[in-house]
Amino acid sequence: MHTLWLVIQREFVSNVLTSRFMIGFIVCLLSTAVAVFVQVDDYEKRLVGYNAAVREAEAEAQEWDLYYNIKPKTHRKPNPLGIFNVGAENFGANTVTIELAKPVFELTFPIMGEPAQKRGSDNSFLTMFLTIDVVFIFKIILSALAILFAFNTISGEREDGTLKLVLSNAIPRDMIVLGKYLGGMLSLFPIVLISLIVALVIALSSRVTAFDGNDISHIVLIFAVSLLYVSTWYLLGLLLSIWTKTPATTLILSMVIWVMLTIVHSNVATIVVEKFPPYQSKPETEFVRSAGDVWDQFRKERDTYIKRRGYENLQDSISWESGADSERTNRFVTFFSYGMHELHLLEGYIITDVDKADTSIFQEILGYQEPLRIAYADKVEEVLNKPAEQRERNAKFADALSRISFADVYHFAIGTIAGTDRQSYKNFIQDSRAYKRKIVEYLKDKEAFTSRAWFSNDQGAADLTYLPVFQYRRPSLFKSLSRAYIDILILLAWNVVLFMTAYVSFLRYNLG
Amino acid sequence: MIWQIAFKEIYHNLTTLRFALIIIILPILFVANSLIYSLGGYSYTAQVNTYNQQVAQNRNHIEDFANKGLAELALIGPGEIPKRPNRLTFCADGADKFVPSSVTMQNVGMLSRAGYDEVVEGYQWRPPWILEYPLQNKGGNVIQRIKIDWVFIGILMSFFAILFTFDAIAGERARGTLSLMMSNAVSRGQVLLGKYLGAFVTIFLPLIISILINLLTIYFFGNIPFASEHWLRILGMMGLFALLVSIFIFLGLFFSSRVSNAITSLVWLLLTWVFLAFIFPSLLGTFVGNLNPIPSVDEVLRQKHSQLGQLYAEYDPFNNAGYIPPKLSKAASAENSKATRLWADFLAKEVETKTRFSDGHIDQQFKQVQLARDLTQISPIATFQYAMEGLANTGIVSYMNFVKQARRYRQTFIDFIKAEDQDDPESLHIYPVREGLSQKPVDLDAVPIFEEQISYRSVLSQVGLLVLFNLLFFIIAQISFMKSDLK
Repeated sequence: MHTLWLVIQREFVSNVLTSRFMIGFIVCLLSTAVAVFVQVDDYEKRLVGYNAAVREAEAEAQEWDLYYNIKPKTHRKPNPLGIFNVGAENFGANTVTIELAKPVFELTFPIMGEPAQKRGSDNSFLTMFLTIDVVFIFKIILSALAILFAFNTISGEREDGTLKLVLSNAIPRDMIVLGKYLGGMLSLFPIVLISLIVALVIALSSRVTAFDGNDISHIVLIFAVSLLYVSTWYLLGLLLSIWTKTPATTLILSMVIWVMLTIVHSNVATIVVEKFPPYQSKPETEFVRSAGDVWDQFRKERDTYIKRRGYENLQDSISWESGADSERTNRFVTFFSYGMHELHLLEGYIITDVDKADTSIFQEILGYQEPLRIAYADKVEEVLNKPAEQRERNAKFADALSRISFADVYHFAIGTIAGTDRQSYKNFIQDSRAYKRKIVEYLKDKEAFTSRAWFSNDQGAADLTYLPVFQYRRPSLFKSLSRAYIDILILLAWNVVLFMTAYVSFLRYNLG
Repeated sequence: MIWQIAFKEIYHNLTTLRFALIIIILPILFVANSLIYSLGGYSYTAQVNTYNQQVAQNRNHIEDFANKGLAELALIGPGEIPKRPNRLTFCADGADKFVPSSVTMQNVGMLSRAGYDEVVEGYQWRPPWILEYPLQNKGGNVIQRIKIDWVFIGILMSFFAILFTFDAIAGERARGTLSLMMSNAVSRGQVLLGKYLGAFVTIFLPLIISILINLLTIYFFGNIPFASEHWLRILGMMGLFALLVSIFIFLGLFFSSRVSNAITSLVWLLLTWVFLAFIFPSLLGTFVGNLNPIPSVDEVLRQKHSQLGQLYAEYDPFNNAGYIPPKLSKAASAENSKATRLWADFLAKEVETKTRFSDGHIDQQFKQVQLARDLTQISPIATFQYAMEGLANTGIVSYMNFVKQARRYRQTFIDFIKAEDQDDPESLHIYPVREGLSQKPVDLDAVPIFEEQISYRSVLSQVGLLVLFNLLFFIIAQISFMKSDLK
């Protein structure tokens, strides 16, 4: 044990005293600090936008007095962990407007009255500059540092001739590998730790960022995974150092592998999948068309029902007392929402002289029609979701290809842990759908569809006091882990494989 | 003597591992580039087809309304103006997915109000078109922003330039051969230049060969037709490659002569490279939002609505006020020129307000982007990227030019309408109202057509900057080598 400690100590001291340690330390610290500074600012902006949107929505909610025109909104709350990994924070919709007859969907082209909307940013053209966050810095710079520490551990000593001297002592070879690995990691450890602490301090010095216990536990996990990532690179460097004869060769080989894995590979994978998608999809316009067909079915079914009840149309089911303004021909107005009505069929009713109207049968018909409309909206949702599902399958395939490089495995793992990956965004959309179902349940409980307050407030406004409120919950550590464990396991597996290979290679190492 | 050193350097380089790597990686990347950009769903051919469809549709649109009469055409506008797809996207992608590919000059909506007894006349009108800049998301993975285009390969080339030079002087010094070499009748400047030429040739030859393979693949399989002008631009891009690689060779030589051991030199170079290539341009790009803040889209929208609201309150075209007869109580008609003039006032003001906001906002955004680009040009890699985009006519600058020309076309179109209108003696010559303009059909061929002109002016300054970087790094490499110890 003592010999192992000696090897570790020697490796650590020889690393720490080099200029690359100092340079690497300073560069890593500085770039992390600047990146966090920029990201905190970005987060503040997102938060301001979010708060304004929530306030606006609350003010809007005060105005609802009829059941048919409630339009609750779900807002995506900015994630403070986005400071470490921006991921999907700046993309996609951050507000979903829930309307009963409107499916929740996303298309690639913007349309009027789309349920999922994005709050405006200052300047969308600036998105073309690469966003830098802590994870990006770690992914690129820490990996380079790990390699710079590892490349001459064996081949350097061999060239200096010290390797023979070391091995002539009574130290087993496995101790040397283990010692060099642990010593190297020990010297990388403070760089990762202090960079993260600096990041945290800068983040906390801002007025708006606040991390709760859950966030802190996530940050600790991010730290652990970052160490695992650095260790992978260190082991790779160590292995190459054993395999090659001179440190210069090790360095060049490992640098090229570094560029390929951190920068080239994932881009090639994503672009190839984007250009040659394995899952071909029909153009979106066709889905829009079939959504229109579904709405046609709805109209047909509704008309049949009204006919069966013995009325020509909805309007006939209302009877007026004498004395109502009989001159008016437009007794009640059906109005469509604006936008493309293939996508949603919103109808509202304004009845003139409603106080003199007997609407009991009309209400009964609505009680049949509105749940039917909601059911059909769900059907349309299924149709309109298909292109997004197709895109998601392609993206998943690209992710799988990217995972060949463990640099991307690391990136995915952190994205999942921070809750800024694509899946977290999709969860937001799904939560919005679940919220819509809750609203429907609430309305059913209140018997809102057959109530007069659906279309008129002359006999009391709609009862919206206990209308469910959208609650955004960030996943617990356990939940994040259960989603990220595959990526973490892949990283772990790389570590084990690289370590075993390095170990075996060094045992069979020919000193000659 | 310079060439002797250079040849020795080249021979030495040819046998190294890095040369083997470059000779494998470069052709693979270039072939991947040609295949990715010339085939697949979003290829040039596909884009040209959509473009041609759009142009034809637009022509039909103009023809339809030109036949209906000058007044109709004047209000509906010249339609959607697509940007011509670019053949050289494979050289510089220029964040193609984020840059819109068209502007619209069209208004399709008709507005109407009902009459109210004798007080207000019913009227149906078409608000005049305005130039709008719709953003678009052309799908794809939005988080992905590095493309395998020539620019990206150029960035990798600068990395290889570092790999070839980090030990050029430090290595010889360590082996002790540097003092042997200097004992000959050769000046230090010559040694440096010889090393430079050696590294340059070893990097540039594989590059040229790979580019040729790339172009041949595109030529034979890719369906991207090139005109002589494109070949010239590609030649210019090769020049840019040379400038970039040369900068990093000088940088490598500088660190290599400055630092006593090769490893330290590589550490410095590597971190400098990561900084110049990724961190610096991105950080400045994101940071510019703080340097020069502009109101958000929502804020601009709010202001615009409030100003339009004031205008509507003043003129009240829909007669929302009810019984009080609004300013525009009479309908515009050929007989009532006073009412027509009032409507023209209102519509012109409405157009002016909308245009002011949409033009103003996008100008502010452009200014921010321009500032970000100007700042990031401190990094030679960013300068290289912008110069490539300039030559390929892709990216945000090309969109800015496109917008500028679209605005010029907007004026041309309005001038054309007014000139045509002057020729009709029956017309009232009141511009943005249907009843105030000539109702005669317009000759389709007389309607001005939008033609995009490409300007390469911005490239010149970037080339100048790259040359300047070369000179600068040459001088500092020279000085540092002059002052360095041989042992």
